[in-house]
Amino acid sequence: MEDLSLNQFDADGAIDEALHRLFGRSRASFLGSVAFAGGSFFAALATAARAAELGADEIDVLNFDLTFEHLQAGFYNEGLRFGALRHETRSWARVIGAHEQAHVKILSEVLGRRAVKKPFFDYQGVTEDEDAFTKTAVAMEDLTTDLLIGQLKDLRTPGLVSAVFSLLSVEARHAAWVRHVAGVLPVARPLDQAKSLREVSEVIRSTRFMKENPITWAKTAPRFTG
Amino acid sequence: MGPQPSRRSAVRSPAITRARFLRGALFTGGVVLIGGVPLLSRAPKIVHARRGQSDDEILNFALLIEYLEEGFYLDALSKNALSGELLLFAQEVSAHEAAHVQLLREALGNKARPPPTFGFGDDTNDTQRFASAAVLLEETGSGAYIGQGANLSRSVAVIAARIASVEARHSAWIRDIVGRHPAPHAADPAMTEEEVSAAIRETGYLS
Repeated sequence: MEDLSLNQFDADGAIDEALHRLFGRSRASFLGSVAFAGGSFFAALATAARAAELGADEIDVLNFDLTFEHLQAGFYNEGLRFGALRHETRSWARVIGAHEQAHVKILSEVLGRRAVKKPFFDYQGVTEDEDAFTKTAVAMEDLTTDLLIGQLKDLRTPGLVSAVFSLLSVEARHAAWVRHVAGVLPVARPLDQAKSLREVSEVIRSTRFMKENPITWAKTAPRFTG
Repeated sequence: MGPQPSRRSAVRSPAITRARFLRGALFTGGVVLIGGVPLLSRAPKIVHARRGQSDDEILNFALLIEYLEEGFYLDALSKNALSGELLLFAQEVSAHEAAHVQLLREALGNKARPPPTFGFGDDTNDTQRFASAAVLLEETGSGAYIGQGANLSRSVAVIAARIASVEARHSAWIRDIVGRHPAPHAADPAMTEEEVSAAIRETGYLS
C-alpha cells in the first residue's frame, strides 16, 4: 500500500503549531484519578468537557484531531461538490464525510473558544479525479487510525480515552470500507500501528493539503521534550 | 488445557478487583462493572480509580473473545464450507485473531487464561450462518474494546487500541461482504462487560 501513502504534501503550520504546544509543555498537570462515564464518543467528550478538567496536553491533542477532522471533512465535501466521482464513490464519500463533519462539530463544541480555527485546504487536484480521490481516502483513513492509537498515551482523562476508542473504531471501519471499495485488502495487518503526532504531522505536511496556518497563538520555538 | 469452566464462569471468571474496591462507594442495585468505570451509564459519575489494577482482568476478558474468534474461524476453515470472499475473510482474519491471542498472552504472561473449549455447531458449516455469526463476533469484539479501553493503564490501552482498530476493520469488512452498512455510526458504541458476556453466552459456543 506504499503507493497510497500521502506523499507530496506540505502543511505550513497548523499541525506543527499544535505539536509545539504539545511537546513544549510540561506533562505535570495530570487528571489521572478522575473517571467519567460516557459510552460514546459524543457522550464521553461532552462529559469530559462539561467537567472542564481536560489537561492542557489533552486540549492540544484534541486541537490536533480537530485540524485533522477538518482536513478529512473538507476533502470529502470537496470531492462531492466537484462532481468527478462515480455514483458508487459518492455514496460512501457522503457517509464518511458526514461522519467526519460530525467529529468536527463535536470537537469544536468541546473545545469551545479553545478550538483552533479551521485551516484552508488545497487538495492538489485529488478531489477532481476518481482514482486519486479513492487512493487519498484510503491513505487518509489509515493514517487516522495510526494517529488515534498513537495519541492515547498522551491522554489522561478516562472519558476522553473512551471517546478516542469510539472514534478509532469508526475511523478503522472507514479505512476498511474504502480499502474494500478500492479493491485492496481491508485489513492489511494483524495489528494497527501507533504513529506519533509528529509523524502524522510529517505525512500531512508532505501532502501540501494545508495552505494556511490557522493557529496564531503559538509563536514560540518548538521544544520537543516529549 | 485446564479444567473446563462452565459456560457462565468461562465468561465471568475474571476477578474484578477494582470494581470490588470501588463498589461500596459507587454502585447501587448490584451493578457489576469491570474496572469500576460505568462507561455506559447515563448519568456521569466521577470516581477515584486506581490505575492499572485491573489490566490483567480486562486483558483476560479480551483474550477470551480472541480465543473465541480464532477458534471460530479455524473451525470454519477446517470444515471447508466457505468459498470466495468469505473464505478469504476467514483466512485473513483467523491469522489476525491468532496474533491477537499471542499478543495478549504475552502481555499477561503466566496470568493468561487457558483457552476454553468451543462448539460452533452449524455456524461454521453454513455460509449464511457463518457470515451472521462473524458479524456478531466482530461487533462484540469491537464493542468490548471500546467499553474497556479507558479502564486500562495507558501503555496497555495502546496495545488494546492496536487490536481494537483491527477488530473494527474486520467488522466493516464482513458487513460490507454481506451487504450491511460497514460504518453505521459516527461514533461506535461501547459494550459493557455484561453486554459482551451476554452476547457470548447467547452464541452457545462456550461449552
